[in-house]
Amino acid sequence: MSAIEVAGLTVRAGEATLLAGVDLAIEAGTWCTIVGPNGAGKTTLVEAVAGLRRPASGTVSIGGREIHAMGERARAGCVALVPQHPVVPPGMSVTAYVELGRTAYHGVLRAPSARDRDVVADVLERLDLARLAGRDVATLSGGERQRAVLARALAQATPVVVLDEPTTGLDLRHQVTLLALLRREVAECGLTVLATLHDLSLAGQFADRLVLLDRGDIVLDGAPREVVRHEELARRYGLTLRVVDVDGTDVVVPVVPSVTAR
Amino acid sequence: MIGAPPSRRRVAVVTGAGLVALVAAVACGLGVGPTPIGLGRIATSILADLGLGHRTLSPLDATIVWQLRAPRMVLGLLVGAMLAVAGGTYQGVFRNPLADPYLLGVAAGAGLGATIAIVDVGGGLATPTWTPALAFVGALGAVALTWVVGGRGAHAGPSTLILGGVAVAALLTSAQTFLQQQGSPTSIARVYIWLLGSLATASWSSVLLVLPYVAVCASVCVAAGRALDVLSVGEDESRSLGLPVSRVRLVVVAASSLGTAAVVSVAGLIGFVGIIVPHLVRLLVGTSYRRILPLSVLVGAAFLVLCDTVARTVLAPSELPLGVVTAVVGAPAFVVVLSLRRRTVT
Repeated sequence: MSAIEVAGLTVRAGEATLLAGVDLAIEAGTWCTIVGPNGAGKTTLVEAVAGLRRPASGTVSIGGREIHAMGERARAGCVALVPQHPVVPPGMSVTAYVELGRTAYHGVLRAPSARDRDVVADVLERLDLARLAGRDVATLSGGERQRAVLARALAQATPVVVLDEPTTGLDLRHQVTLLALLRREVAECGLTVLATLHDLSLAGQFADRLVLLDRGDIVLDGAPREVVRHEELARRYGLTLRVVDVDGTDVVVPVVPSVTAR
Repeated sequence: MIGAPPSRRRVAVVTGAGLVALVAAVACGLGVGPTPIGLGRIATSILADLGLGHRTLSPLDATIVWQLRAPRMVLGLLVGAMLAVAGGTYQGVFRNPLADPYLLGVAAGAGLGATIAIVDVGGGLATPTWTPALAFVGALGAVALTWVVGGRGAHAGPSTLILGGVAVAALLTSAQTFLQQQGSPTSIARVYIWLLGSLATASWSSVLLVLPYVAVCASVCVAAGRALDVLSVGEDESRSLGLPVSRVRLVVVAASSLGTAAVVSVAGLIGFVGIIVPHLVRLLVGTSYRRILPLSVLVGAAFLVLCDTVARTVLAPSELPLGVVTAVVGAPAFVVVLSLRRRTVT
């Protein structure tokens, strides 16, 4: 059984159709990255899988359970979200922020249990945040902050994590660090990941599978090596793309007329 | 540590200071007035009632303390606590620092209800004795109307609800102003005094009337602290963390509004407490509603009774409007804390 099963998913906003009957099944313990130009519907798909967008038709199931039929608390035990622009509340310690990920377990009337605190301590350790545990989360650097957001999602201890452009605003090193941490969670804990990414090279390096979305529909779906080389990818971006193999890693480079040559 | 949220020790110090302020407020509420009555004599009188020692208060002094000052002081504690915790709760649930307990039209609705009673609309249909009841009904009616106008609040965004509150408040205030103009000069003056808020009509029966509402509603607000902390990451994120956002909003708005309606119905529209006390507490102990809300109960209660002591003594035997005192005392206090905090942060 697939960890994530999206069937005939259509999402509308007023007159506009954001997703037009998307079908997508993602195996447990794998990483699927959605790529596509701006306005393709990537964020909508991620938000729908996280249960935040109601479909006009179609279903999203996680572990065989239809997520839009669940209450918030049950859903938070199935899927965790790393949003593109997380709201970082000032004055909250990193520990307290990551503990928010345990809300569904202890509820809003009880304090986190010993087990909740253990999970949080473990996640902080795994993501190298333990030394920042007492810091105000709003004072962290961009890279540290994004790790804290990922830590909160992992503290939810869900089988599925969805991420919307998790590397936005990070320098190259922090992008790679974050994606590598996530990759380790997939490999060691059997986590299922659905992410959107703009960087095609990074998308190809870390995912098991790439899906090209455009105008609310899936255009390409396959192994990263095949998708990044497909001519349709370049066409959808309206660019000429070159794929360079650097020691076995595909690097996708847009070919632009040299500015200096003009 | 730089960038660290306030420590437990700091919270303990602020809580201690709040308790001291509360004790001082109770002492002022009972002891200060045109007839000075020493706290020692009040204390021995309490002990005498418990069978220890003998009375030192004359029957007149005892009446002043137990039938005039004590109910007024206790009502002040309840009103201050409720307004402050409701304001803090509104600020949390709407994620809006300008929110106060009157945000969704409670004040305008209560004002209209009270005016209908005081101006005696319909010639004897409503009488001034109905003022608390009609103010209460008006306050709750206004919030209910806001909830409906704002797209059944639970599912609409908070800004829709706030705008609904603005519309409802404008409508009801204009109706209230119109009715007020129709009244006699005496009733206009009484409406005006009611609108500024006062504890002068306090009695043990008014205390008993609002006590259950304040006890239940303030408890619900304080218990919502953890939910409001989760909500501080925004609605979508808190939903994905498992918070039933719509239900939480319904419960806390209902509790804040009901409690506010109850205290406003007996004390009128006392301004400023609901916005300044939670902010004052936030500046001192940080942004967690698990700290802000219980401390707002404490500080709000002490603050209002201290302000009332000022209101009833500086121009004695006449009284200053309580709303004026809360602003005159509260605003400078707030500015001082704000500047102190800025200095420690930079």
